[in-house]
Amino acid sequence: MLTGIDYFVVISYILGMLLLGLYFKKFVNSSEDYFLGGKSLPFWAIGMSIVVSDIGALDFVGVSGQAYRYGVSVGNFDWVGSVPAMILAAFIFIPYFWRGGMYTIPEYLGRRYNRSVRTIASVTWILFFALDLGVLFWASAVLLNVLMGWPIWISILSTAGVVGLYTYFGGITAVIMTDVVQMIIMFTGGFALVFLSLDAVGGWDNMVEKISTMGPEYRNHFDIIQPADTTSPFPWTGILFGLTFVMANAYMIGNQSIVQRCLTAKNEWHAKASMIFGSALKMFIPILVLFPGLMALVVHPGLEDGDQALPLMIKSILPPGLVGLMFAAFFAGLMSSVDSLLNSTATLFTKDIYEPFFKKNASDKHYLKVGQITTLVLLIIGVITSPISSDFPGIYVAIQTFMSYFQGPLFAILLLGIFWKGSTQWGGLLALVIGIGFAIFLNVSKDSFFTIEDPFLYISWWSFILSFIVNILISLMTERHTDLALQGLVFNAKIFTKNEKI
Amino acid sequence: MKNLEIDAKIKTAQINNALGVFIMVFGLIVLFAITHTVTFVQQMTDLVAGLFLIAVGGGMIWKSRRSLKKFKKK
Repeated sequence: MLTGIDYFVVISYILGMLLLGLYFKKFVNSSEDYFLGGKSLPFWAIGMSIVVSDIGALDFVGVSGQAYRYGVSVGNFDWVGSVPAMILAAFIFIPYFWRGGMYTIPEYLGRRYNRSVRTIASVTWILFFALDLGVLFWASAVLLNVLMGWPIWISILSTAGVVGLYTYFGGITAVIMTDVVQMIIMFTGGFALVFLSLDAVGGWDNMVEKISTMGPEYRNHFDIIQPADTTSPFPWTGILFGLTFVMANAYMIGNQSIVQRCLTAKNEWHAKASMIFGSALKMFIPILVLFPGLMALVVHPGLEDGDQALPLMIKSILPPGLVGLMFAAFFAGLMSSVDSLLNSTATLFTKDIYEPFFKKNASDKHYLKVGQITTLVLLIIGVITSPISSDFPGIYVAIQTFMSYFQGPLFAILLLGIFWKGSTQWGGLLALVIGIGFAIFLNVSKDSFFTIEDPFLYISWWSFILSFIVNILISLMTERHTDLALQGLVFNAKIFTKNEKI
Repeated sequence: MKNLEIDAKIKTAQINNALGVFIMVFGLIVLFAITHTVTFVQQMTDLVAGLFLIAVGGGMIWKSRRSLKKFKKK
């Protein structure tokens, strides 16, 4: 449990976040302000927000733990698993979403394929996000319970109160700007931790020497590329095909909470630049997250649970003040994940479900109200369902893994939708449905097909491949869209030129 | 410059000002935490981290105040 100055830092941080978030209420006057920040935000704020929402507190702890267990190969997730995809998103995909004036990715899929594709994609995202909420509330409550000694229900209600208030009133502007603060504080504390940890282990060379002599299981700890037959979940084949080709692109191009941030930019240049800036920041993440995990091997060898590596390093290495600040940043990371889910789900529901199915052509104020009420309802669902997470310890990993299975088929239809005019509405619809079904089948019978512990990278690759093939085959047999219907929705070299009509 | 653009600049400046105040306050708290440290390395770490946060926050406040002054005149 924290004491003294660190306790004070965490309390001040939580209250400060609430006040800061509520301050952004004054910028919300329309649904565009609420869902897209009035399309007025600068690239640096969006870039920071993308990085922070990508690397939440649970990932921060998890990646350090994996570095402790498997070594530097986990860094692939933030390098080849992010940077190329972000650059591709910046130059090819974001301009289409931006110029089309879209709010959601399912909205693009609806225009490119048909309304069923839009609804299936949107409902799937909403279900996953809603399920995730309860888990994240529980994780936040456990963190507060451990750090501050608050009872679990007080912790859940205070997290929900703080996040709910600023997301309900401030919309995506509050979400992005609280992320900016979190990133600056996380980077400051993170770099302090790396420098002090290096000092504690006697420098880099000393650390490498010590880890290399720990035993045969640590032989590959400094190999960024792991052999195909490795027992770790990161063989090079999975990293290249599953992560670099599919999951990274699906995440950066097909994830509503990431893309929605880019659409808040003040112009197309800022929208693209936010991804490029985010990719530059992403390159530092392995240094901040992975190195402390490696150094923990020397400072705290023999930990049974690798996920303890980072919290232990923070407590034993950082000075008072920064310990509180880093734990506050962890808590803020969880809050950031919750507020992103709340706002993205509200956007998906309002734009893809409520507007087309319940009330078309209502006033803008009406849709703003619907967005806010959806946020409130989700918040209540999250609070009520959060205790369920305690009965299922693996639920967070299960939800995240399942979400990754959906991303392969989604990326396949997005890719063909943009790059192939011949892709038809039936091709897209069947590719999405069959691809998701195939991913579920592979997951259920993974022991029969794969030898590694957690084959999520391979599953996303094969479900992507199947969706890709199904889309092509069905499209060749069904009626194509007219060129007029595809205007502004499929690739055209004019996308590289400034604000040219596509 | 159009009114809409000026409004957007004012909005950005107000946001930066709020962020700057928040970050600067935390810089001051980290500086204050030096009084709770034991070793020289801990003191230096808090000092550098605190000063960095104050510099970032202060810079944002200074820049946003300048923008506010400039655009509110227009």
